[in-house]
Amino acid sequence: MTQYILRRLLLMIPVAFLVSVIVFTLLRITPGDPVLVFAGEERDPAALEAMRHEYGLDQPLPVQYVVWMEHALRGDLGRSLRTRQPVTQAILERLPKTLEFGGAALLISISVALVVGTLAALRRNSPLDLIATGFTIAGVSLPNFYLGIILILVFALALRVFPPGGYADFATEPMDNLKRLVLPAITLATASLAINLRQVRSSLLDVLSHEYLRTARAKGLGERAVVLRHALKNGLIPVVTIFGLQIGALLDGAIITETIFFWPGVGRLAVDSIGGRDYPVVQAIVLMSALAFMVSTLAVDVLYAWLDPRISYRRQAG
Amino acid sequence: MRSARYLLALIATLAVVLGACAGGQPSGGGPSASPVGAKPVYGGTLTFALENDVIDFDPLRSRAFVDRNLHYQIYDSLVRIDPTGKIIPWLAESWETSADGKQVTFKLRKDVKYHDGTVFDAASVKWNIDRYRTTQNSQRASDLAPVASVDVVDQYTARFNLKAPFAPLLATLVDRAGMMLSQKAIEAGGADFTRKPVGAGSGPFKFVEAVKDDHITIEKNPDWWGKDKDGNKLPYLDKIIVKPIVEGTVRTTNLRTGDAQVANNIVGKDVESIKSDPNLLYQQGPNYGFDSIFTNRKKGAAFEDGRYARAVSMAIDRKQITDQVFYGTRFPGYGTIAPSHFAADPSFKPFEKADPAGAKALIQQIGKPLQFEMLVTAGTALDLQIAQLIQAQLAKADIKMDIKTLEFAQILTLQDTCSYQGATLIGWSGRVDPDGNTYSHIYTGAPNNNSCYSNAQVDKLLDESRTTTDEAKRKAAFRAAEQIYVVDDPARVWYDFRSTQLATAKKVQGLVPYPDGLIRFDVGWLQK
Repeated sequence: MTQYILRRLLLMIPVAFLVSVIVFTLLRITPGDPVLVFAGEERDPAALEAMRHEYGLDQPLPVQYVVWMEHALRGDLGRSLRTRQPVTQAILERLPKTLEFGGAALLISISVALVVGTLAALRRNSPLDLIATGFTIAGVSLPNFYLGIILILVFALALRVFPPGGYADFATEPMDNLKRLVLPAITLATASLAINLRQVRSSLLDVLSHEYLRTARAKGLGERAVVLRHALKNGLIPVVTIFGLQIGALLDGAIITETIFFWPGVGRLAVDSIGGRDYPVVQAIVLMSALAFMVSTLAVDVLYAWLDPRISYRRQAG
Repeated sequence: MRSARYLLALIATLAVVLGACAGGQPSGGGPSASPVGAKPVYGGTLTFALENDVIDFDPLRSRAFVDRNLHYQIYDSLVRIDPTGKIIPWLAESWETSADGKQVTFKLRKDVKYHDGTVFDAASVKWNIDRYRTTQNSQRASDLAPVASVDVVDQYTARFNLKAPFAPLLATLVDRAGMMLSQKAIEAGGADFTRKPVGAGSGPFKFVEAVKDDHITIEKNPDWWGKDKDGNKLPYLDKIIVKPIVEGTVRTTNLRTGDAQVANNIVGKDVESIKSDPNLLYQQGPNYGFDSIFTNRKKGAAFEDGRYARAVSMAIDRKQITDQVFYGTRFPGYGTIAPSHFAADPSFKPFEKADPAGAKALIQQIGKPLQFEMLVTAGTALDLQIAQLIQAQLAKADIKMDIKTLEFAQILTLQDTCSYQGATLIGWSGRVDPDGNTYSHIYTGAPNNNSCYSNAQVDKLLDESRTTTDEAKRKAAFRAAEQIYVVDDPARVWYDFRSTQLATAKKVQGLVPYPDGLIRFDVGWLQK
């Protein structure tokens, strides 16, 4: 097992390298001149040329890549073209905020999906099941930005139970931090919750029809034990795959949600940087999220082996 | 269930409000900010909801308009404008222009210190202006291009030597090119100075911290030189927290919930909800900014023949745009010179009534029907709404306009090289002197002349408006030029002038709208 994990970790190096080349190339061939975007209303050609030179944008592409790679290998991801802030600092400063926010959303999504999905599967076609199905459809169809604004209007403006966005430091104002977390976390959780709920329900329904459960019941096990110990553990295997993929996908959702709730995380940084052609920042964020995807997929594969003893990663003989 | 009913009620209310607004009632200025005789009190913290995060605190590098919202609190410039746009003394107590117009001598205040304790004097003026003029990537170099050198006459007298007379010089010094910073603080700040201008200003507020996309904190400068009209020391406020909130509706919500007390960029459709809120005050004043349509006048482009641009100008209904899209927060506009500029002519309304029939006749006269493509920035609902409205208006004159959405960065590149086929939308935040609104947009080959317009007569008039300091002569030159580049041989199509909006909690006092759209917090105070 350890060997397997090591091998997978090693494999990440060439993948990360490929990602860096692809992102670098795609960004540079996307039409749009970063210097013009930064220039705003100030278009003095001499100043623009000086900026191009300062950022090395007047160099040929391969040279730019090599320079970037050289620095990146030494742990220096450069400075933001737009704000001159070191990229590493820009990301590290925001990462905990995005992790807190994404983690909260994931927690809501998974826990609600597990509980409600299981209940819905056990009481198929009951009112609860119907409500859960209805919610699934609504949750998948409602765009993030729309749901976010509705939540702000209802809970922040009309009912005044939560603040309309913003961030407070957990270390100094823990209660305020949590209060501000609720609406964005619900917004971000909704879409994935809908998918998870559906997945939990259908894979559990599938498992529930298997014969080994009848055997379990026949040998006198209580319903609770049948569901929790036998049905759920098997039913969860496909669900874990979906959860794992969502960890990576949360960054996508964070992009919009963070902007609406002005949560100063990586998602918001990504939006500004892509629109502004802030090459070094976009490169770093994409690389980071690619790594997050790879690590979460690996974690899912490891979890598999734990959940399903039939799966083994030992090297086959021959 | 209760919340579901609540939601329905909310949606119904929204629909009613939106319906009422679509009726279109242009809003005038709000009631006066401060009850007569109210005595300012010291203290308090204010939260200011800003439309975006500040990118650059260094006036030398700053490009974005939004930056200036902070610059104006932290830094003092040599001269300033009053709420009517008149240039008034600031760090410079007085100034004198030589007879040939090539030397401007400033007498400086003697009681000014930067936040880091260093003294402001003529040597500091010279150092700052030279830094702006000669630093490699200075965004201010072109603003100060007419300046040949600065002499330190004595400790508190500085003389600007100009290459040629340059009438807009004072107006230029109101903004970033005239902001004075401490040399010591800049050198100590190094590469991080653009984000942490610690101790650099001499203004009413000192920089404390800036956390990207989260907040900026500035606090009272207790040693500021400014005094109110009764001789009390300014500023009154202890602290200002600036929160960058990009989403317009969320900015308004923050005001209404009391999470912010000041905002200066309000979405048109939200204005009614602020006006009807008993805790809020909405003020609206004139502004130098305008919005326009670049019609590509380059050879081979759709508007090579300027008469097509005039036809579009005739066919569009400006009032419909300002009413339906901006809910009366902008006003029909016809050129670069805004109503509050000295060179404005209030009777200059060349396309006041939409005239699709006239446009049709003009195009028939040219002989070939007009069809062109309008590029709109993807993801900007407001721009798309404007484009669609214009599309419908032009259809009445048999002009076919196709809308194509593209990413902002792509449109910029196409604009910069005049390589778009037909038209794009372009706004301008406005400058104190009409020259700043005009020259770089209209003059042949100028950086913001992205319709590739060229008219020798206009160029001559604009040069004239720069070299003469006589206000009446300058106005005459601007009037003659505007008639040409708007009507006779249009450079592009202008459709509105902006307004300065200022929404505050009622307990915020003393703040008034300035035509450059920037708030001066030095006189603001909070009712206890």
